[in-house]
Amino acid sequence: MSGPLRRRWQRWLARRIPAAASVRLDQRRIFIIPTRVGAAFALALLLMLLAAINYQNSLAYGLTFLLGALFVVAILHTYRNLAGLVLKAGGAGAVFVGEQGRFRVRLESSARAHQAIALGWPPAALQSLDVPALGASECELSLPALRRGWLRAGRLRVESRFPLGLLVAWSWVDLDQALLVYPRPLAGELPLAGGADDQPEEQGACAQGRGAEDFQGLKNYQPGDSKRRLHWKAFSRGQGLLIKDFAALSGRDPWLDFEALAGDVEARLSLLCHWVLQLSERQQPFALALPGQLVPPDTGERHREDCLRALALFGTPP
Amino acid sequence: MSQALGIPRISLTWLLVAQALVIVPHLGHLPPWIIGLWLGCAAWRIQIFRMRAGYPNGWVKAGLLLGTAGGVFLSRGSLVGLDAGVVLLIAAFILKLLEMRSRRDALVLIFLGFFAVLTAYLFDDGILAALFSLLPVTALLAALIGLQQSAFALQPWSTARLAAGLLAQALPLMLLLFILFPRLEPLWSLPLPKDRAVSGLSDSMAPADIAELSRSAALAFRASFEGQTPPRSELYWRALTLDHFDGRRWSQSSFARGAQSAAWEQRGQPLHYSIVMQPSAQRWLFALDVGQTTLAQARQMSDFRLQRALPVESALFYRVTSWPQALREPTAIGAGPGSALQLPSEGDPRSRAWAAELKRDYPQAERLVQALLGHFNRQPYGYTLRPPAVGPNSIDDFLFETRKGFCAHYAGAMTFVLRAAGIPARVVAGYQGGEYNPSGDYVQVRQFDAHAWVEYWQAGSGWVSVDPTFQVAPQRIEQGLEAAVAEEQSFLEGSPFSPLRYRQLGWLNQLRLGWDNLNYGWQRWVLGYQGAQQLQLLQRWFGRIDGQWLGLSLVGGGGSLVGLLALWLFKPWRRERDALQRSFNRFERLLARHAVRREVGEGPRAYAERAARALPAQAQAIRTFAAAYEAQRYAGHGASPALLRQHLATLRRALPWRFTRAAGE
Repeated sequence: MSGPLRRRWQRWLARRIPAAASVRLDQRRIFIIPTRVGAAFALALLLMLLAAINYQNSLAYGLTFLLGALFVVAILHTYRNLAGLVLKAGGAGAVFVGEQGRFRVRLESSARAHQAIALGWPPAALQSLDVPALGASECELSLPALRRGWLRAGRLRVESRFPLGLLVAWSWVDLDQALLVYPRPLAGELPLAGGADDQPEEQGACAQGRGAEDFQGLKNYQPGDSKRRLHWKAFSRGQGLLIKDFAALSGRDPWLDFEALAGDVEARLSLLCHWVLQLSERQQPFALALPGQLVPPDTGERHREDCLRALALFGTPP
Repeated sequence: MSQALGIPRISLTWLLVAQALVIVPHLGHLPPWIIGLWLGCAAWRIQIFRMRAGYPNGWVKAGLLLGTAGGVFLSRGSLVGLDAGVVLLIAAFILKLLEMRSRRDALVLIFLGFFAVLTAYLFDDGILAALFSLLPVTALLAALIGLQQSAFALQPWSTARLAAGLLAQALPLMLLLFILFPRLEPLWSLPLPKDRAVSGLSDSMAPADIAELSRSAALAFRASFEGQTPPRSELYWRALTLDHFDGRRWSQSSFARGAQSAAWEQRGQPLHYSIVMQPSAQRWLFALDVGQTTLAQARQMSDFRLQRALPVESALFYRVTSWPQALREPTAIGAGPGSALQLPSEGDPRSRAWAAELKRDYPQAERLVQALLGHFNRQPYGYTLRPPAVGPNSIDDFLFETRKGFCAHYAGAMTFVLRAAGIPARVVAGYQGGEYNPSGDYVQVRQFDAHAWVEYWQAGSGWVSVDPTFQVAPQRIEQGLEAAVAEEQSFLEGSPFSPLRYRQLGWLNQLRLGWDNLNYGWQRWVLGYQGAQQLQLLQRWFGRIDGQWLGLSLVGGGGSLVGLLALWLFKPWRRERDALQRSFNRFERLLARHAVRREVGEGPRAYAERAARALPAQAQAIRTFAAAYEAQRYAGHGASPALLRQHLATLRRALPWRFTRAAGE
C-alpha cells in the first residue's frame, strides 16, 4: 500500500475502530474475505460445475451446489467465531532497547467458545489460541523494542479461519497499549561522580557505595533494599522488617551527569543507563542530571525507575 | 504460514476414513490391483505417522507413479477417456495420501476427494449411492476442520459433528440452487462410462436376442399416464421396425434409418403420458402408436418411431402424446412398396409355397391375415423360452416342424409369409405390457417385456398391427411373460433371487413396488431435472419466467435463506448473553411447572434446597444442577454451559411430564 493510501486507511480504521483498552468485536469491526484456500476451493467448484454441465448429471450438480452453499454457510460461521469476542489490554512491563516488548492481551468470551483465534502484528507470525465459552484466555505478544521511549503496540490483527479455513475474518484492534523502552545499557567508564564541585581525589568513591563499615542504626525496609541487610532478629521479635543502615565511607553520593559525558546522545544515555542499573544493584544512592532535568540523590526501586524513565524519555516531546 | 505445518492426527485419521469411503463406490469399476495399491499405501502412511517408516523418496515416488500409469494403461488400454481417467484420479488420490507432508498437500488431497465423489455419480446415480456419498463428503470436511489449529480440531467426533452440521445448514441453499440454477447444454461432449452394461433392443433381431432379453429383469423405462392407465394388452411400446430379412436375422434397412417422416392422420382420443427411460446407448425412444414428443432433438421417423439425435446415455425424461387409432400412411408407403416386400432370393421353400397357396385361397389381404392368425391359434403351436434348434431354413423348420417359439419366431414367420404372399409387412420391435405400480400409478417396463409383432399395409387402411403371439399365448399379452411361461418355469431362471420371482409374497411385493416407486420419483424429479424439464416445472409453478426472473429469485431466495440461517445462528432476540443465567432461568421455569417457584430475593442454593425437599424423588438431579451452577458462577470454575444443559436434561427426564402448569400458577 502506498503512503497516502495507507494513511487514509489508518484514519478510516481509527474512526471505525477507535483505540480503547477493551474492544468487543462486532459487525462494525469484523471484515471477512476468502483465503487462498477458499479461492482454490472456488476453482475446484467451478471445475465440478463444468463436469456437471458436460455430463448433465444432476447429482454432480447437487454436490457442487452443496459445497457452494457450504462456502456461504462458512461465511456465517467464520464471522460468528470472531463476533462477540472481547479483547482487553493487559499489563506490559518496561524493557530495554534490543529486547522484546511483551504485551499481555486478554480474550474473553461473552457467550460461545471461540476456536483458533490468531493474534499478532504482521508480518510476524500470529499466535493462535482458543477461548472457552464464557471463559477467558490470555496471551503474551512480543514486539521488538528498537528505539527508546514509548513503544506503542499499534493495531493488532485478530483473525480466525475456523471452521473450514476457506475464509478469514479479521479485525484491526487498537488496545491503546504502550510500554516504556529504556536505553540499551552499555558498560563503560564513568568519568566522574559527585556534586557540582567535583573533587578529583574522590574519583572511584562511587564504586564503593553504601558500605558495611559504619553501622548507623535501623530504618524501615523499602522495596529495593538488599535482603542481606534485613534485621532478621528484629523481624523474629515481631518488630517488622527493619534494615541495618550503614554510612558509606565516601561523603558524597555519585552524580550521574549527562553533560559530563562525551559522545552522541544515545551513547551517553546508554552509559548512564548502565550506571543507573549498576548503582541501584549496589543500593548506592545517586543522582541523575540531564539537561533541564534533575533526579535528586536517592536509592530504591522507585528511584531507579524514575531515572530510567527520565533516560528513556529524554529529548522526546512530552 | 500455517500451511507449512504438519498434519494433525485427527485430520490424517479422517483422511484415511474419507479415502475408504470415497473408494468404496468405485470398487465396481476399478481394476483389482488398485485395491492392493490402496491398502498398501494406507498401511505405509499409518506407519509413517507412527514413525515406523519413512516417506517415500523421489525414486520410489517416480516408480509408483510410472507403475500406476502403466497399470492403468494395461488394464484400460488408454490413459485418456473417462474410465482410465477415473482410475487415474483414484490412483492419484491414493498416492497423494502417501506422500502428503504439509497442510497444502492435505488440501490438495481433500479437493481430489471431492472430485472422486463426483465421478462416482457418473457410474451410479441411484438414491442409495447419493445418500452414501454424504459420508465421504462429511469425512473430507472433518479432515478439513481437523487442519485448523484449535483444540477443538483434536476431537474426532466433534469435528465430524461440526462437518455434518455445516452440511445440514448448507442443505436449504443447495436445494434452492438445484431448483433455480439454469441447466446449460453440455459445453463440449465428453465420453461416458463404457463399462456400464446396457442391455436392450438392438437394430437387428434374431430370435435368440429376444430370448436373451427375456432373462433380464433390468428396467427399460417407466411411464406415467395422465388419467386412466390403459389395460396392459393395449400397451404396445414401439421402438423400431425391422424391414430387412437375410434368412436368419431381421434388421433395419438403411432407408428406415433415414430421417423422413411419414404421412398420418390423427384419429380418436389421444393418450398423454410421460416416460423416463434408462440409458439404452441407442437413439430411439419408446412410445405407443402414433406418438409425438415435445422433446427437443427428437423426431418421428418414417416408420413412426421416435428418434433422438444422440444416443440415450443417461436417464431421459420425455412427454408423449399418442393417437392409438391414427391412420398411418393410408395412401402409399413412403419408402415404396418394394421395401416392405423384400425377401431373400431363396430359402424356406415350404413357407413360400404355403404363402402362394394362402394367396390363392384368400385374395383379400385382411382375410389372409385372419386365416394366418387362425392357423397359429388352431394348430398345435406352443409358446416357450426354450425353443428347439432349427436348421438353415429357419422359417420352414419353425412353421412346419418344431412349432415352438416365442414372439420373435411368430412375428418373423408371419411377416415372411405375408411378404411371400405379396402383402407389404414388417416386424415391429419394442416392449409389450409392463407392470402397473399402484403406489405410484405408473407402468414399469423391464427388459423381459421385450416383444416383437407384425404390421402389414393395405391401401386405404394404411399400416395395421397384428400380434401372432396373442393367438398362441394370450396370457403373455394379458398377464405378462411370467404367466406365459409358468408351466415350464423358465421365468428369470438365471436369477433365483430376483424379487420379481416372488411377486406372490404380498409384503415383499409391496416393498419392491414401493422401492421402485421411490426410484422412479428420484429419477423423474432429481436425475431428470435437466434443461426442458426444469423450465417446464418452473413455468408450472411460477408462470412465465426468464433469465432476469431466475437471477432475481436466486439472489432473493438465497439472501433470505442465508438471513434465516444467520437469525438461527446468532439468535439476536436472545438478549440475555449470559449462558449461565439462561440455564438457570430454564431450571427455574422447569421447577415452576412443578409448583416450586423462586421467592423474590431467594438465592440459588436456598431455592434448590427448597425444591429438593419439595420434590424428593428428583432431589439428586436438582442438587447436581445447583452445585454445578454455583461452582461455575461463584467458585470461578471454568464455565461450561454444555455441562449445565446436560444436568438440566437429566433433571427434565427425572421429572414427570407435565403438559399444563401446576395448580397455583
